[in-house]
Amino acid sequence: MESHRRTANDVSAATGNLAGVPDPVSRLNGHRPAAMDGESFHAASQRILTTVNTVIDGKSDAAKLALTVLLAQGHLLLEDVPGVGKTLLAKTLARTIDCTVNRIQFTPDLLPSDVTGVSIYNQASRLFEFRPGAVFANIVIGDEINRASAKTQSALLECMEEHQVTVDGNSYRLDEPFMVVATQNPIEMEGTYPLPEAQRDRFMARISMGYPDKDAEIEMLETHQATSPLAKVAAVVTTADVAAMIASVQQVYVSQAVKEYTVSVGRATRESPLLRLGASPRSMLQLLRAAKATAALDGRDFVLPDDVLQVAEAVLAHRIILDRKAAGAGETPHSVLRGILSRLPVPHTPAEPARQPRSTGRSPAPVAGVGRNH
Amino acid sequence: MTMAPARTPGTGKQPASPAGTSAGRPRVGAFPWAMAASIAVAVCGAALSLNGVLRGWAWYWPVLTTVLVVSFTLAALRAVRAQPLLVTAGGFLSLGAILTLTFFRGSSLLGLIPTGATFTELQRLVRRASETVLAETAPVAPNVGIVMVICAVLGLAVILVDALAVPLGMPAATGVGLLAILVVPAMIKPQSVGFFGFTVAVAGYLMILACSQWFAPDARTQADSARNPGQVRRAALTGSAALAATLLVPLAIPGFDQGTFPQGSRLNPWGTSTGLNPMITLGNSLRTPDGSGRITYATNASVPLYLRSVTVDHFDGESWGPDDRNASRLPLGGRIDPGYAVLADEQLQQVTAIDTGTFTSPYLPVPYAPETVRGLDGRWTWDPATLSIKGTDVSSRRQEYVVTSSVPKLSAGLLAQSSSGVRDIPDDFTRVPGNVPEIVRTTAGTVAGSASSPYEKAMAIQRFLRSAEFTYSLQSPVQNGYDGNGLSVLADFLDQKSGYCIHYASAMAVMARLEGIPSRIAVGYAPGRLTGATVTVAGQGTLPEFEVDARDAHAWPELYFQGLGWVPFEPTPSRGVVPEYATDSSAPTAPGSLDNNDDLIPDATPAPAPVPSATPLPAPGTGGGSDDGLQLLPWLFGAGGVLGVALLAASPHLVRTAIRARRLRPRDPGDAVPLAWTEMLDLGTDYGVAPGSSETPRAYSTRLRGHLGEPGGMDEAAHRAAVALTAGFERHRFGPPPPSAGGQDADDGGRTGTGAKGGAASGQLAALELALRANATLPQRLRAAWLPPSVMGRLGRIIAAPFRAAGRALAVTAKAAARSWPVRSR
Repeated sequence: MESHRRTANDVSAATGNLAGVPDPVSRLNGHRPAAMDGESFHAASQRILTTVNTVIDGKSDAAKLALTVLLAQGHLLLEDVPGVGKTLLAKTLARTIDCTVNRIQFTPDLLPSDVTGVSIYNQASRLFEFRPGAVFANIVIGDEINRASAKTQSALLECMEEHQVTVDGNSYRLDEPFMVVATQNPIEMEGTYPLPEAQRDRFMARISMGYPDKDAEIEMLETHQATSPLAKVAAVVTTADVAAMIASVQQVYVSQAVKEYTVSVGRATRESPLLRLGASPRSMLQLLRAAKATAALDGRDFVLPDDVLQVAEAVLAHRIILDRKAAGAGETPHSVLRGILSRLPVPHTPAEPARQPRSTGRSPAPVAGVGRNH
Repeated sequence: MTMAPARTPGTGKQPASPAGTSAGRPRVGAFPWAMAASIAVAVCGAALSLNGVLRGWAWYWPVLTTVLVVSFTLAALRAVRAQPLLVTAGGFLSLGAILTLTFFRGSSLLGLIPTGATFTELQRLVRRASETVLAETAPVAPNVGIVMVICAVLGLAVILVDALAVPLGMPAATGVGLLAILVVPAMIKPQSVGFFGFTVAVAGYLMILACSQWFAPDARTQADSARNPGQVRRAALTGSAALAATLLVPLAIPGFDQGTFPQGSRLNPWGTSTGLNPMITLGNSLRTPDGSGRITYATNASVPLYLRSVTVDHFDGESWGPDDRNASRLPLGGRIDPGYAVLADEQLQQVTAIDTGTFTSPYLPVPYAPETVRGLDGRWTWDPATLSIKGTDVSSRRQEYVVTSSVPKLSAGLLAQSSSGVRDIPDDFTRVPGNVPEIVRTTAGTVAGSASSPYEKAMAIQRFLRSAEFTYSLQSPVQNGYDGNGLSVLADFLDQKSGYCIHYASAMAVMARLEGIPSRIAVGYAPGRLTGATVTVAGQGTLPEFEVDARDAHAWPELYFQGLGWVPFEPTPSRGVVPEYATDSSAPTAPGSLDNNDDLIPDATPAPAPVPSATPLPAPGTGGGSDDGLQLLPWLFGAGGVLGVALLAASPHLVRTAIRARRLRPRDPGDAVPLAWTEMLDLGTDYGVAPGSSETPRAYSTRLRGHLGEPGGMDEAAHRAAVALTAGFERHRFGPPPPSAGGQDADDGGRTGTGAKGGAASGQLAALELALRANATLPQRLRAAWLPPSVMGRLGRIIAAPFRAAGRALAVTAKAAARSWPVRSR
C-alpha cells in the first residue's frame, strides 16, 4: 500500500504547497514534470477529445470521462454489450497519445505470466532473464477482461495499484503514465467470470458506452464503411505532455467544503440501507482525483461540487453492492446513487458571510431532507 | 452512459417490521387495544364537554361504560382477527347489549336480549328525550331518556371512529366523528366546549393518529413511517400547535368568550329568540353583551308599561314552558275579552304603537290586557285564558301594530278587599304541582303563612324576595348549575338566594299557589328607556317613544284577585318597576326595596323613568356622559387599525428592501461576493425559484436561467449577470483563497475572485431582477414585491422556532412511549 500512501500525500502536498508557495508553476521537484499552464492544457485536451470524437461518433461524454480517468491517473473499465465500440474507444485514446500501447486479449487460457512477464533461462548468458509481459506499456488495453480466469485477472492487481511488477522477487517499475483500459461484457453474458470486488475497486471509473443516437449511427455507417477510422489517427500529444497535464491536474485546488462534500457522499453510501457495501475510502480518493481532472478539463483550477457530482456515478457505481431487497425491488447502483446524491445537501450558501472561512461547515452526515432533483 | 431509469429512492426499501416478517400470519399485537384505548379516550374526552348540557356528572358513568364496552369489544374482535365487517357488526351488537343492560334491564331477557317490551320502553325514552331536547334549557336534568340517547350516540360515534380509523384506513377523518360530539356543547353551552373536554378529545384524536402510524397493520403505511420518522413528530407538532392556537386565539380576540357558538347570539342570523319557549332563551337574552332584538314602542300609558309575550302556568315537569292551548285559541279579529269581570271603579285605557324590529318570536309582545290589535301582518290567534297572542304562520319579526289595552286602576285598598274565594278561573292556574320541593313549601309557609288575605300573602312573598337576603345575578345560576327553570331550579334558587327575574318570578308564582292564590308567570319585557324621539299615533297625537332590547327581557308573576283580574307583581330586585299598589308605603320593609322603589318610581313624571342606575348591566349604566368618548374611540381604533394593517402589509416589502440595501453595501469588501450570491438566491426565491438543499450553485444558476428568456435575446444581460455572479461565488466559496495582501504574483491575478465587486454586483442583480420580473406572471410579480417568499419564509421559521422545540420534546416523549408500549402489552 505504499503507492496508496504516496497518492494521499500528493493530494495534500498539492494543496499545501499551493497555500504556502506563491508560485507553483515555477516549482520543479525531482522526478515530476512541470505542470502545464491553463491554455496549453486546454489546447492539448481539446486535441485529444477532437481526435477521439472523429473516430467514435456521438460518444463525447464517454471520451471525456476516459480522458478524465487518464489525467487522474486512474484505470478505466468499459462495460457494455458487444459491439458498441468499447475496444475502439480504448484504442483510439491510446493512439492519440504518442506512447507505448499494449493490448492483451483476455481469454480463458491466458496465464498470469503472459500479463506480467516471465524469467526465462538464457542459454548464452546462462542467466535468468526477465522477459517483460504485456503490461509493460504506457497504456494497456485489456480486452474482454472478464473472460480470463480470476487468477489472471488478479495478476493485474499489483501493476494497477502500484505501477510495478514483481516477478521472482524482483520488482520492475512501469513507465509513467500508466493506465489500464479494460473492456468487459456484462457479467450476464456467456463465458464470463465476474471481476472480484478487489479488482473492480482498482478501476477508477466504469463507463457504459451505450448505443449511439440515430444520427451518429448513420454517420458511422457512412464513414466506417471502407476503412477503419483508426488508421488515420495520429498521435496529438506526447507522453511528456500527458505527464505535464497530470501534474497540473494534481495542482487543482480542493476547498474544505468540497472535501467535506466528498466525504459526505461516501458516508451517505455507507449509511444507506439500500446498500450492502458502500464506497471505500480509496474510492473517495479516486472520486476526488477524478473531480480534479474534471475541473481541470473544464478550465478551472479549483473543484466544484458539480465536478464531484459529475463523476460520482462513474466512479462509485461499480464499487457499491446493493442490498438484496433493494436489488429485488429493481434498484440499480446508479438509481441508488442518484437518489443519495439528490438528497445530499450541497455546501450551498454562505449562511453568514462573516463566518468565512467555514472550517466548521455542515455536518457531513446525510440529512434525510427532501431533495430537489436537478 | 446507459443507466437505469431514475427511480425514486427508497421505494425498494422494505424495512423489517417488528411484528410482520417473522411469522407467516402477521401478529396483531397491541394495535387493536391501543387503538381502542385511544378511541375511548377521544370519545370520552369529547363527552366530558357535555357537562353543562346535562346537569351534574351522574350521566357520565353510563356513557363511560358504553364507550368502553363498545370500543373494547371492537378491539377484542380485532385481536382474534375477525373480518372487518364482522368487527363492526359486533360493535353494533355490543352497543345494543350494553344499552339494554343499562336502560332496559327489566324488560329484556337476561338483561341483554331486547324483547317487545324493550322497544315500547325505548319509544317512551326517545319521546322523553325529544321532549327534553325541545322544551328544556341547558343544562337539562339528566333524565333517563336523554342519557340513553346520549349513550347510544356516543356508542355509534365509537363505531364510526373505529371504522374510519382501522378498516377504512382514514385515521385523520376520525376527527369528524369527534367533532360531531363536540358540536353539541359548542352550540348549546354559553361557555362553549370548555377547555378540559376539548383538550382530552384532541389528545385522544392525536393518539388515534399516532396509533394508526405506529401499529399500522398495513405494510404501506408502515414502510412510510419507517422511512419517514419525522411524520410522528410533524403530527405531534401540528397537533399541539393547532391545539394551542385554538385555545389561545379566542382569548386574544375580545368578545369571543361568551354566548353560544361561535360567539353569542350576535352572529345568530335568525333574530334574537327563535325558540318556542321564551323562558329558555330569557337567560341568554339577558346575558347578551349588547342589546339585540330592539323593540320600540310609543304609549300614552301613565304607568310604566310591561310588554308581555306569553305566560307560563304549568308548574309541573322538569322544565316549564308556555301552554299554547291550541284547541281553545281564537283567531285575532275583533275585541279581545279577558273573560272575567273587573269590579274596579276606573279602567285605564292605554294606546301603544309597537315596532318589533328584529325581535323574532311566535308570541306578540303587547301590554296587558290587550283589547284590540291593529296593523298586524299574517294570521294571529289569542288564548282566552292568558290573552297571549300567537302567530299561526308568522313571527313577530318586523311587525308594526297599535294595541289598545285597559288595566283597572288598582290600589292597595282595592286589593286588600279582594276576597280569598276564587271563582271562574281555570284549574290550570290554581293547581299546586305534586313534586314541590320541601324548601319551597317551608319557605312559603314561613313567609306568607301568617298573612290573612291574599293581598297580604302576596305582599309578604314579594317583600321576602326583594329583601336584602336575595341578590340579583345573571351569572351565579350558571356557575352553580341551576340556570333555567323548573321546580328543582327553584329549590336551588331559594337555597342560594341568587338569581335573576325568572327565578324570582317563578318563586313568587309557586309560593302564591301554595298559599292558594292563582298565579302564572308572565314573560316579556320590563319597561324600557325613552329614546327621545316621538311617534305620531292616529287619534292620540305625538307620543314619547321607548325602546327595549334583549337585556330588558323579563319575567314577572301575575296573581289573580277575585274581581280585579290578573295583577302583576314585581319580586325581582333592581329590575322593572314595582306597581304602586304593591309598594309597602305604610308598612315597614327592608330598606333595600324602599330605595329601589324610590329610584324606580319618580312620582312626578307620568312616563316611566329611564333605566335605573342600580342595574348590574353595564350598558344601560353608561349614560350620555360617555357618548363623546364612545364616538371618538372607534375612530381612533379604526385609524390605528388601518395604519397597522398598512404597516403590516408593507413590512415584508420594507424588510426585503432593507436587506438588499445592506447586502449591496457590505462593510467588508471581502463579503461582497457571498452577499451578492445570497441576494441572488433570495431574488430567485422571491420569483418562485427557491434553491434546493442538494442543488449546487451551478445547478441552481442553470435552473434560474431557465426562467429567463432565451440567451442572446432580450435577457442576454441577465444571463451574463447570473453566470458572472455564480462564477464569482463559486470561486469565492470553492476556489483557492486569494493571495495575502502582499501577493505580488501576476500569474495569480486570475485567482483573486473579483468577479463581483460591490458596484458590479448591484448592476448584475438589477439586470437579473429586471429579466425575472419581465418573465414572471402578474401574481408572481406582486408576490415578489409585497410578500417576498424569502422574507416570509424567514419570518415563518422564526415564528415556528418555539413550536419546533416543543415538537421535538413531544417527539422524544412519544418515541419513548411507542417503544415501551408493545413490549408491555405482549
